[in-house]
Amino acid sequence: MKAKQAIGLIVGIGAFILALLIPLEGLSLSGQITLGIFAMAAFFWILEPIPIYATSMLIILLQVILLSSQGFVFSPKYAPQVGVVEEVAEGAPAYRVPLEALSDSGQIFKVTAKAAKPLSEFEIVSKDAESVLIRSKSLSASDRVIEDGDHRSVATETSSYATFYSTLASPIIILFLGGFALAASAVKFGLDKNMTRVLLKPFGNKPQYVCLGLMICTAILSAFMSNTATTAMMMTVVLPIVGGMAMSDPFRKGVALAIPVAANVGGIATPIGTPPNAVALAALKESGINISFSSWMLMAVPFTIILLFISWRLIMWFFKPNIDRFEVNLDSEFNKSPKAILSYIVFGATILLWVTEKLHGISTSMVAFIPVAVLPALGVLEKKDIRGFSWEVLWLVGGGISMGLSMKDTGLAYWLIELVSWDSFSGLAVIIVFSLVGFAIANLISHTVASTMLMPLAITVGTGLAAVGGFNLPAAIVAITVMVSLAMILPISTPPNAIAMSTGVIETKDLAKVGIAVGVAGFIIAIVCAAYVWPHMIG
Amino acid sequence: MGKNIYMLCVDDEAEVLEAVERDLSSLENQFPLEIASSAAEARAVLKKIVDSGDELGVIFCDHVMPDETGVELLTAMEGSDAWAQTRKVLLTGQASQEATIEAINRGGLDHFVAKPWTKENLINVARAQLTEYVIRTDRDPLPYLASLDAAKLSAAIYRKGIITDS
Repeated sequence: MKAKQAIGLIVGIGAFILALLIPLEGLSLSGQITLGIFAMAAFFWILEPIPIYATSMLIILLQVILLSSQGFVFSPKYAPQVGVVEEVAEGAPAYRVPLEALSDSGQIFKVTAKAAKPLSEFEIVSKDAESVLIRSKSLSASDRVIEDGDHRSVATETSSYATFYSTLASPIIILFLGGFALAASAVKFGLDKNMTRVLLKPFGNKPQYVCLGLMICTAILSAFMSNTATTAMMMTVVLPIVGGMAMSDPFRKGVALAIPVAANVGGIATPIGTPPNAVALAALKESGINISFSSWMLMAVPFTIILLFISWRLIMWFFKPNIDRFEVNLDSEFNKSPKAILSYIVFGATILLWVTEKLHGISTSMVAFIPVAVLPALGVLEKKDIRGFSWEVLWLVGGGISMGLSMKDTGLAYWLIELVSWDSFSGLAVIIVFSLVGFAIANLISHTVASTMLMPLAITVGTGLAAVGGFNLPAAIVAITVMVSLAMILPISTPPNAIAMSTGVIETKDLAKVGIAVGVAGFIIAIVCAAYVWPHMIG
Repeated sequence: MGKNIYMLCVDDEAEVLEAVERDLSSLENQFPLEIASSAAEARAVLKKIVDSGDELGVIFCDHVMPDETGVELLTAMEGSDAWAQTRKVLLTGQASQEATIEAINRGGLDHFVAKPWTKENLINVARAQLTEYVIRTDRDPLPYLASLDAAKLSAAIYRKGIITDS
């Protein structure tokens, strides 16, 4: 184990224990437990003593054990209880319970097999210093009541453990699963490579236009497939040609950089383009805001096109080609087997249904299950293809959604943002701060994790601002998500960067130069859009 | 983690071993090259590699050697769990047709290099076989992108989903 990982493990567990031990004003016990889990997860995610998806799984486990209404802390099963000892018969039966059992709000909690339920009706017969005599039809002599009516197990609002598990099948996760199924079938039958071949044709053989063509192909593919898979696929297309070029030609670097940049930018274009989009959509959904596939694209596609064009110009400016011809020869052919054709049809139909939600009203996540169910039914995707989905990415996002749930429900998110006085911030300033923080941390850690940590806080601040008026929450959240996706200054910022770096064609400083330039351009456009353009698009 | 992928050359002629060492020196930084002058010596090297938790990516093996032949060694390796995945190359000038058939059918032979070889050819064979080894053993391909066949490794990344979005 490396020192970094050892530190992560110790600091993470230490933070968890500290958060539980130190009394924090204004934070409930469940909030403190959530803070502990959040702090530990943050250190684990950042320093990676365990894989990031394992941290997400751990979050769910800890929530189930510590935060659920059936868990060790909040289950009434583990709360001190007393039997209804005395049955005083005189007409209707009366029972004696400890005086404490009467909660501040005047309720008494009977323990049932699953939970502690307040007695729906009871009548107090008499009280003395230690006990109270009550009459109730819903009690019998063998019943047990919670000894302390204000005990945490009844006074805290908790969720069933099933709530945390169900984040793994939340509509947003299913949306991604749909994307995985489509991408898997596209890769299986070489649709991705064939589309690249067809799309590249009109760009001729002038280096700079071929580069633009490559960027457009990469962006379109990564809008529907994973950014990493798209980058790797495009690398198989360009590396053989780049390998044949003169080492001194700056265009080698230009092409090797254009692909990860275009993949990262392209991922912004659709809800299924990249996991941070899922995190944002899930957070918005929790706040009762649903953004359809088409609304997202309406905002993100023009942004992507503009930024892609700017990135292309920047790359061509930084890395001017010496050669005057650059030819990409892909000798593939469209697979015309029946299964391949079925996969094209399902692909086309799903995307068509996604972008036309306004016409038919079937929600994005409902449509997403069509490829998941139909592709295996048609035999297009087989058992091994389904096993090949990036399941760990779903766990990563699912754990993040689950974390966000507890942060909101236990009041932790609110407590955390109260640490900063946001009153002095305008709506625009809030977007700028969160975008910059998101951009900064996403350069150092996984994009998904960065948005997972940031979204619950951004949503909480934003909800407050939106309540006052003049602040468009979805537009702000999209802007922040975009900035997270644009974090690509370092080789470790995103897997596409790591792949491009590993080829040995580019150096860190090339990546940094382009990453900063594209980041600044993207930041300006995103802020302008969030403030002036997007609010008009999504009302 | 951090396991080394070794290359091994087995030949009873010292000049051959020297030539192979010279020709493959550019790969040696990442893939340490071991040499052995007999099958017995090769087995000792194999034991050393497995004991240190490392792996053998490719073996270049002569056929005609005193005591145990190259094909016999390859066949034994093909049958063992530890070395079944190792890419097996016969580097020889005098293997009979029979021995070659035996090497293909029972020794899991992956490639045949006829003596004399050119440096370029030998490096290409080594890179291709090591690339194949990295892909088949589902290793993280990123550390090898610069030195081996990057296009092939990239294809494995997206076809096998070895690296995913995070």
